[in-house]
Amino acid sequence: MEVIKRGIKNAFRNSIRTVSIVFILGLSIGLTLTMLIARNAVDEKIASVKTSIGNTITISPAGVRGFEGGGEPLTSAQIDKVNEIKNVTGTIQSLNNRLTTDNSSLVSAIDAGSLGQRFNQTGGGQPPSDTPTEGTTSTSTTRSFTPPVMILGTNNPTNLSQSIGGGDFKLTSGEVFNGDETENISIIGKDLAEKNSLVLGSTFTAYDKDIKVVGIYDSGNSFSNNQVIVPLISLQTLTEQTGEISSAIVTVASISDIDEVVTEAKNVLGDSVDITNGADQAKTAIEPLENIKSISTISLIGSMIAGAVIILLTMMMIVRERRREIGVLKAIGATNIRVMAQFIVESITLTSMGMIIGTFIGFLGASPITKLLVQNSSSSTTQAPQQAGRGMGRIMEMGTTNIKNIQVNVGPDIILYAILAAFIIAIVGSAIPAYFISKVRPAEVMRAE
Amino acid sequence: MLEVKKATKIYKSGDNIVKAVNNISLSIPQGKFVSIIGKSGSGKSTLLSILGALDKPTSGEVIIDGKDVVLMTEAQQVDYRSKKIGFVFQNYNLIPNLTAIENIMIAMEFAHVKKIERAERASKLLIEVGLSKDKHNRKPGKLSGGEQQRVAIARALANKPKLILADEPTGNLDSATGKIIFDLLHKLSRSENTTIVAVTHDLSVAGKTDLTFSLKDGKLEKK
Repeated sequence: MEVIKRGIKNAFRNSIRTVSIVFILGLSIGLTLTMLIARNAVDEKIASVKTSIGNTITISPAGVRGFEGGGEPLTSAQIDKVNEIKNVTGTIQSLNNRLTTDNSSLVSAIDAGSLGQRFNQTGGGQPPSDTPTEGTTSTSTTRSFTPPVMILGTNNPTNLSQSIGGGDFKLTSGEVFNGDETENISIIGKDLAEKNSLVLGSTFTAYDKDIKVVGIYDSGNSFSNNQVIVPLISLQTLTEQTGEISSAIVTVASISDIDEVVTEAKNVLGDSVDITNGADQAKTAIEPLENIKSISTISLIGSMIAGAVIILLTMMMIVRERRREIGVLKAIGATNIRVMAQFIVESITLTSMGMIIGTFIGFLGASPITKLLVQNSSSSTTQAPQQAGRGMGRIMEMGTTNIKNIQVNVGPDIILYAILAAFIIAIVGSAIPAYFISKVRPAEVMRAE
Repeated sequence: MLEVKKATKIYKSGDNIVKAVNNISLSIPQGKFVSIIGKSGSGKSTLLSILGALDKPTSGEVIIDGKDVVLMTEAQQVDYRSKKIGFVFQNYNLIPNLTAIENIMIAMEFAHVKKIERAERASKLLIEVGLSKDKHNRKPGKLSGGEQQRVAIARALANKPKLILADEPTGNLDSATGKIIFDLLHKLSRSENTTIVAVTHDLSVAGKTDLTFSLKDGKLEKK
C-alpha cells in the first residue's frame, strides 16, 4: 500500500513534465481508442454487408437469359433440393411472362419510342403487327411495336426489391399477398395502374381470367413500374406451367459460404441449370471497408507502440535521474521488487491520467474520424458503379451506400478498452526501466558522490 | 562485535587490477565509535560498502552479530541491511519528495515495523537528534544541511541497528555543525550501545573516537 502511495506521489514530482507526458499519452491512447472503435464499427459493418449484399445466387435453366435462349424449364421440385443444402437460408422462386394486348386487357405504360422500335427490328421485342404507320404516305408496312407488360409470379413477396429487376420496392397502397396464395390477385406498378386507370379492388384480364388489384407499388423506375406481380401458383395455373419456374434466387448465410453452396447446387442440379452469383461484385463493394479496417488496425498498433515508447523513454529518464535514490532505497533495505513496483505504479499513474484524457478524445473523436475515413475511402470507389454493368453496378452502389451509413457505437465499453490500452502501455513501457532498476547496485550510493 | 578477516576487494579498471581493500582484518567491540581516516581513493568507501553488505569482498569474511555477511544470499543481505545496519551519507541522501518524518518511516517500512508504531517512533527519533517538531513535516529541500544530516542519523537509527556506517557524515557541513553532528553520533553510540564506523577526513574529529584506523592503498593501520 505504501509502495502504491509513493508511486502515485512520485508521478507528480515534476508537474510540468507530468502534464506534458500525460497530454502526449492522452493523445496516443485517444488515437488508439478511436482506431479501435473505428475498426470494430467497420468489422461489424463488413459482417452485416456480408449477410445482406452479394450473398445470393441465381439459378436459371441452362441456356436461358430473360426471354432469350432455350432449354428446359426449371421446376420447384429442383429448388426444394437446393433448399436443403447447408448454409442456404431461403429461396425465392419466380416465373416470368409477358402480357400483350393479345392475352391481356392491360396497355403498357411504356411508349416504344425509337429505342423500342429498334429493339423490335432486331428481334428483341414481342411479335409485331403489320399496320401502316400513321401519318406516312409509304405503301410499305412498318412493324408497329408496343412494349409488353411484364408479369412476375413469386412465392416470396416479402423481399420484392430482389425480384422486380431494378429499384426499391415500395408499396404505396393496398397489401402484399401471401407467398402460397392461389387466388388471381396482383400487385401492380404505379405507372401501369395510372395508364390503365386501375385502383385497389379493380380487375383486369389476363389469360382470359379476371385478376384483382390488391396493391400498388412504386419502384422509382419506369421499367419496374410497368409490371404485374402475382402469386407463383396463380401464374403457374394461368399459364399452364404447373410446377415450373423461370428462375430462383437462393440466399446464402454469408458471402464466404457462396462457393460451397454453388458447388453443392451444381452437384444437386447437374448441367440443366446455369448458376450465377454476385459474390465477386459484393467483395468489390466491401473492399473500401477492408481498407479502412487495415488502416485502423495499423494506426491502432502504431498508436499503442507510440504510447509504450513514450512511457518507456519517460521511465528510462526518470530511472536515470533517480539512480542515486534507487541505490539509497536498496541500501536502507528495499527489495528489488519493491523498488520496481514503486516505479511501475508511477508509470501506471501517468498512463491512467493519459487514459482519462484519451477516453475523452476517443469519445469525441471516434465517430467523426471513422466517418472521415469512410468518406475518403468510399469517394475513391464512386466511379466504379458507373463503369460497371447493371447488376454489378447495383451491388456496388448498395455497397457504397452501405459503408456511408456506418454506425459508430461509442459506449461505456470504451472505458474498458482505455483501461486495457493504458495497462498494456504501462507494463510494456515499464518493463525495460524495471530491468535497469534491478541492475542498480546499492553500493553505487557510496561512490557516486 | 564486528569482525573482518582478511577481506580483499579487487576491481578491474580497464586493463588494470585495483586492490581497493587489501587483506584487511579488524575487530571492533559492540558499542564502540570507530573512525577510519584516509585520502581519497584509499578504499574507505569500499570498506564501508563491504561492512554494510552493499558489496561483497573478493575474498575474506565479514562477521557481524555472529553471522558472515559474505555468505548471505541477496534476500538475506537486504533483510540484514534493513534491520541490523544504519547508513549515514556525506550528502544525506534523503528522499526529496518525502518529509523528514516520512524519510524515517520508509526505513521502518522496509524492516516490516508495524504501521501504527512508525510515526510515533520516527517522531521520537527526530526529537532525539534535535529536530524541532515543526520541521518534522518539511521536505529535505526546506531543511538546512545540518538538519538534513540529523534526519539522516534518525533514519539510520530507525530500526535500532547494531551497526551504523557513516560515510564522511560531516563532509558537507561547516565545522561548527560538523562538531555537533559528530557529538550526536558519539552520544548515540553510548546511549544505544550501537557500533559506529565513521569514515572522515577531519583528524580533529577522528581523535575523539574510541578507535581510529588509517587506510592507505587498501591497507589498514591502527592509530
